[in-house]
Amino acid sequence: MPLTGLQIFKLLPNTNCKKCGYPTCLTFAMKLAAGKEALEKCPDASPEAKAALGAASAPPIRGVTVGRGDRAITVGEETVFFRHEKTFVRHPGLFQIFDPAGLTAAERDAKLDHWRAIRIERAGETFQVDGIAVVETAESVAAAVAASDRGFPVAILAATLPGATAIAERIKEHRPLLVPPAGANLEGYAALAARLGIPLVVGAPDLASLADAARDAARAGVTDILLEPPGADPRLLHHSLSAIRRGALDRIHPGLGHPVFLCVGAGEIEKAVLGITKFASLVALADCGGETWLPLWTLRQNIYTDPQKPLQMDPGLYAIGEPNDRSPLLVTSNFSLTYFIVSTEAEASGVACHLAVVDAEGLSVLTAWSAGKFSGDRVAKALREMKAAERVSHHTVIIPGYVPVISGELEDALGDGWHVLVGPQEASDIAPFFRDVWGPLARDLGTHP
Amino acid sequence: MSLDLKPKKWAGALREVTLGAGSRRPVAVGGGNGLPLHTFEAAFPHRPALALEITDVDPVRWVESVRQPWEGVLGRPAEAARRAVADFGADLLLVHLMGTHTDRGNRSPEQAAADVGAVLEAVNVPLIVKGPGAGQKQNTVLARVAEDCRGEGLALHSATNEDYKTLAAVAVAYGHALVGESPIDVNMAKQLNILLADSNVDLNRVLIDPLTGGLGYGLEYSYSVMERIRLAALGGDAMLNCPIVCLVGEEAWKAKEAKVPADKEPLWGSQRERGIHWEVATAMTLIEAGAEVVVLRHPETLDRIRKQLDSWFGSEPSHDREGVVQNSFRATDEHR
Repeated sequence: MPLTGLQIFKLLPNTNCKKCGYPTCLTFAMKLAAGKEALEKCPDASPEAKAALGAASAPPIRGVTVGRGDRAITVGEETVFFRHEKTFVRHPGLFQIFDPAGLTAAERDAKLDHWRAIRIERAGETFQVDGIAVVETAESVAAAVAASDRGFPVAILAATLPGATAIAERIKEHRPLLVPPAGANLEGYAALAARLGIPLVVGAPDLASLADAARDAARAGVTDILLEPPGADPRLLHHSLSAIRRGALDRIHPGLGHPVFLCVGAGEIEKAVLGITKFASLVALADCGGETWLPLWTLRQNIYTDPQKPLQMDPGLYAIGEPNDRSPLLVTSNFSLTYFIVSTEAEASGVACHLAVVDAEGLSVLTAWSAGKFSGDRVAKALREMKAAERVSHHTVIIPGYVPVISGELEDALGDGWHVLVGPQEASDIAPFFRDVWGPLARDLGTHP
Repeated sequence: MSLDLKPKKWAGALREVTLGAGSRRPVAVGGGNGLPLHTFEAAFPHRPALALEITDVDPVRWVESVRQPWEGVLGRPAEAARRAVADFGADLLLVHLMGTHTDRGNRSPEQAAADVGAVLEAVNVPLIVKGPGAGQKQNTVLARVAEDCRGEGLALHSATNEDYKTLAAVAVAYGHALVGESPIDVNMAKQLNILLADSNVDLNRVLIDPLTGGLGYGLEYSYSVMERIRLAALGGDAMLNCPIVCLVGEEAWKAKEAKVPADKEPLWGSQRERGIHWEVATAMTLIEAGAEVVVLRHPETLDRIRKQLDSWFGSEPSHDREGVVQNSFRATDEHR
């Protein structure tokens, strides 16, 4: 439980020495309570104070790292139940379940290379396969080694303790995640994880025994634990996920303060959706097609966006369709939601165009204009930086219908030869605007294709 | 060591709103006194209701994968309605009068009312009727529909903070429910409900449409606003405790990711499955955040979401004390 300012104050020396930079110990204590300062700034803090504050500030959900190197993934360390309370911090890792049985080494490597090469850019994030969950079979030692060699974090979906031991021993330097089979006696697996210093998944048929099992594994020397929630059906899974998060935040049982692991079978995208929205930290997926992964990556991106700051696009000139120098040039703000709506509607219009995304500090057009972030001067400067003049021969820029007021300033700032055209207020009117306003105008300008 | 997981109790609960009257088989939604789907600690008299969207004219912008199940009935609302209820098992329908939009056919209020009338003849489920969008035309169209279909308990979509008086008046006058639409903002949603209440609209006949952002296109904003609205409702805010309706299909199928063919983006996988997954993920996520009515376009999405909800609410229809069949699937199963 976090300490209050007054509780912290009682632990401080109460000398008001100002060495921390604050006028009184009480002020400093308040800053500590708000998480805005670190105790290290107090040179005279007693060991007791450090211990008490350290324990209180330990995250309610431990962080766990799987893998080593560039692609290692750390999950956990969450602090809230609702994302709007603060934010969700560490997005869940999405692992590809891989059964190497019956594959030749070449076939196996081809699959792993394919997964490693996947990179999909979306709204400032690169989607990739975060790890490989290797199903234990006769071929699995080689497969796990091949996956680790490619930098993938590996989860070992164990069938037998000896089999899992053989794999884990070989790749222990890569910090694999050990996943015992459902219903297995956890003692042997916990001993293995403790001996190799690798993370372990703990499962149980109900929440109370799950918490106890995690506590027992910790006592057996396993430092990094993930919980596999009881989840025979969607209702039970949702209950388990919600109860684990709530129990962890309320610190009702030390065994609940761990990230959650979820295995999703083929054709079970709904289960993965539930997991990603409701607090799962590592999700292993049997399906390997983009039709499953793309929606899940996107969902994760949405849910783990920090609601405290507006999502922003990188400013720049974006192509909608395949525009040429006669295509219309639209300008909008870099608020992601605005960008997505405008680009979606522009695309739906069937007219290829250039979309200039101006740095408006992530505000919507009207808000940005009110705050002076979408002035004629700023838009003109942005268009010059994007070299818009070289991209369109008509030198006409279409501005959002909410800010006709910047027309004059923008035209002046852009200089000779530029025209400003006031576009529609709503993105949904872009198609009729292209048809009824841009079309005839483009013909007049002699630029219609 | 036993687990001391205390159930969360709340001061407030959602209002219960009954959609459909007159010749309709009513569907009630809302009434729950806990967080969405938290059946382990709260009571939910009704399961979330699943609607399918049908249109007055051929929705030419719908991509092929979502047009396919409706082949032969697009732009024929009565036939589409029959298929939606008898074959696809929709609990209710959203009739989107898109053809009344000045840019999409400019159909008259009389034609719109006739279209809705034909749907009422064809099926007995409740209807949400969506106009062409904000503006004068919206009001004339929906007012005419409301008058001609008096007593059927339609849900008129939608009143907004800027323009609610006409629809508030006709909803009250002709016995309809009203959807209040606000732009992903808790305070605006509350303000609109206050305005509606001041206009003599019974908030037990109001649904909140908080504006749906589709997956990848603002879903997270809708998600958090809906969670906050639900928390306010459970905290006892009588101006925010109306059930929420989400127009999921419209937003999900608008996404680029639902439209791009597989040969253009090989890493994106099958276009058809991708589109359905886009709608399933949007719908499931928003139900978790508190949607009590979701409007879908693809019948396969409806089927998949219904199977999920069966896990919480059982596959048997439940009966409330008036003996109203709640979101029955059984009636439709007979037609299969």
